[in-house]
Amino acid sequence: MNIFKLAVRGLMRNRRRSMMTLLAIALGFAAISLFAGYTHNVYDGLERQSIHGELLGHLTLSKRGMSKEGKLNPERYMLNAEEVARITGLLRNEAHVKLVAPRLSLSGLISNGRASTIFIAEGISPEAMQGLQAGVLTEEEERTGMYVDIIKKLDPLHSENALLSFGLADMLHLKKGGQASLLSNTLTGQANALDITVGGTFDTGNAGSNDKFSFMSLSLAQTLYDTNGAADRLTVLLDDVDQTGIMRERLQQKLRGAGFDMEIKTWQELSDFYNQVHNMFDMIFGFIFSIVLTVVVMSVANSMGMTVVERTREIGTLRAIGLKRSGVVKLFTAESLMLTLLGCLTGLLLTFGVRYGINVAHISYTPPNGASAIPLLVDMDFWRTMFTLVLMVVVGTLAAYLPARRAAKQAIIDALGHV
Amino acid sequence: MTMQTNLQPLLRLREIRRRFMLGETTIEALNSVSLDIHSGEFLAVWGPSGSGKSTMMNIIGLIDAPTSGEVWFDGQDTRSLKDDELTDFRGHKIGFVFQGFNLVPVLTALENVMLPLQIQGVSEHKARERAMAALIDVGLERFKASRPDKLSGGQRQRVAIARALAVEPKLVIADEPTANLDSENSRMVVDLMRDMNRARGVTFVFTTHDPRLLEHVDRKILLRDGSIESDEVAQ
Repeated sequence: MNIFKLAVRGLMRNRRRSMMTLLAIALGFAAISLFAGYTHNVYDGLERQSIHGELLGHLTLSKRGMSKEGKLNPERYMLNAEEVARITGLLRNEAHVKLVAPRLSLSGLISNGRASTIFIAEGISPEAMQGLQAGVLTEEEERTGMYVDIIKKLDPLHSENALLSFGLADMLHLKKGGQASLLSNTLTGQANALDITVGGTFDTGNAGSNDKFSFMSLSLAQTLYDTNGAADRLTVLLDDVDQTGIMRERLQQKLRGAGFDMEIKTWQELSDFYNQVHNMFDMIFGFIFSIVLTVVVMSVANSMGMTVVERTREIGTLRAIGLKRSGVVKLFTAESLMLTLLGCLTGLLLTFGVRYGINVAHISYTPPNGASAIPLLVDMDFWRTMFTLVLMVVVGTLAAYLPARRAAKQAIIDALGHV
Repeated sequence: MTMQTNLQPLLRLREIRRRFMLGETTIEALNSVSLDIHSGEFLAVWGPSGSGKSTMMNIIGLIDAPTSGEVWFDGQDTRSLKDDELTDFRGHKIGFVFQGFNLVPVLTALENVMLPLQIQGVSEHKARERAMAALIDVGLERFKASRPDKLSGGQRQRVAIARALAVEPKLVIADEPTANLDSENSRMVVDLMRDMNRARGVTFVFTTHDPRLLEHVDRKILLRDGSIESDEVAQ
């Protein structure tokens, strides 16, 4: 028997009910896949922001213990000029390695001559800064020029220039070209001060750091720290984010072989914000997914339950003329399979439509802890959409199993006598 | 288990009892019924309402099991068959015609007739051929694409007869096949069953309230209060 043909005809029998169930499935599916697409966009944005915007690169290398003990004993954990050169040389020839950038972070006080406040600064070469930021904008963002001002640029010709975050510049009434003084400790613990010129301002994207962050050239940072060619870590940029884990292992082995006991952290391990947002959205997604899946299953089970009751006589007839119990179960589960599959495919079309509408509407919003508005965009999360489709179809089909099994177990004479 | 006999009946009922529970009351629908039906018979079971006709038909049609007693069909003791085996057995050997036609409303006349064949696993092409032949036999080839709601009561019952015959059964069970038909259609349906019985040698057992239809049968069994009151063979 062509069970699917019979299933389709069965669905057409009570069109309104089938349509309402199909709509419930379609809306549920669209809600899940749109949210998955939105979170995919957020994850993707945060990934780009972390790797390229925050200049974390894909991997960060430092001497083992640097992250815990480095502030207490910087001399021990700092990479000297020779180590920086040797490690850089070892890494540069590796496949997938696009860039190796020595970095030096420091903190201290910044003054405009009248008032002072704390600052946290990153020393990085202007070329490395430019290289790390390549890819921070999507093609669409680059094309429209909407977010071009988030690119931070240090002037390679003026090493005395530093970039200040918006809040910090605003607090000290400093504008581009303005003068300020930095006071910090040297590597040996002495106080050291330098005059800088404000080379520009930037948005950290985070309200918590937007009033204290600064970028300066590596040479300026090294001068302030009174160290020649030293760095506290090396940032490695890869050509493929999916290689991050593999490359960590590979580089670790290579450096160990060369006599360096290094700690290598991935961008995900270093970006707390990314992890927090990811975990939060994953939890929300799971919550929404569970609710929608429950609604869909209830809807399908209710619809199929009613269908089975209405067609009890028919089931009796089919059993009488030779359909086995398993055939009855197959018939109704096939009907449910068709219904959920059609519902999911309708939901997929709905997802494409709504996604397109949202993406061309240029909606923007300011996220929690965000310093500025970001666009609301929805991606197509292929894997989670496929997962939703498969799970919905499987669970929706199983939702018909119990009523179908109950019907199949009914005595034929009772089913035939059903009114 | 197979009966060893030279004059083996198609169906043999022995000491059949069938009890139903209605609340706390036990209803004795059939009481020690024994009966042999031979191949090629055209037999009517008649009697007042509640006499046990439908219960007997259900047991003969193997869609119900007796509370006690033996049902032998085509030499097979049906008590030894499991549900799936019994379903297969029934599907191949017994055709059903129901009082309410029981056609699948979303299928055309031809598809309805094809249905039992396709359940048996006959290929679509062969099932279509055989179903079409059955529809021609009942004179409804013009209505092959019509759904049941576009057919008259008489036509629906003829489609049901075609469906029953399509599997080339040994026995066709028809429980009150004319109850929902006017007298002309009733006669037409009984004539059709009679023709099929003669042309194909298929055994027909049907129940009826209508004494006029009994004129057409070879044998009539009167049931009363769950027992056979008379078993007459027409002269």
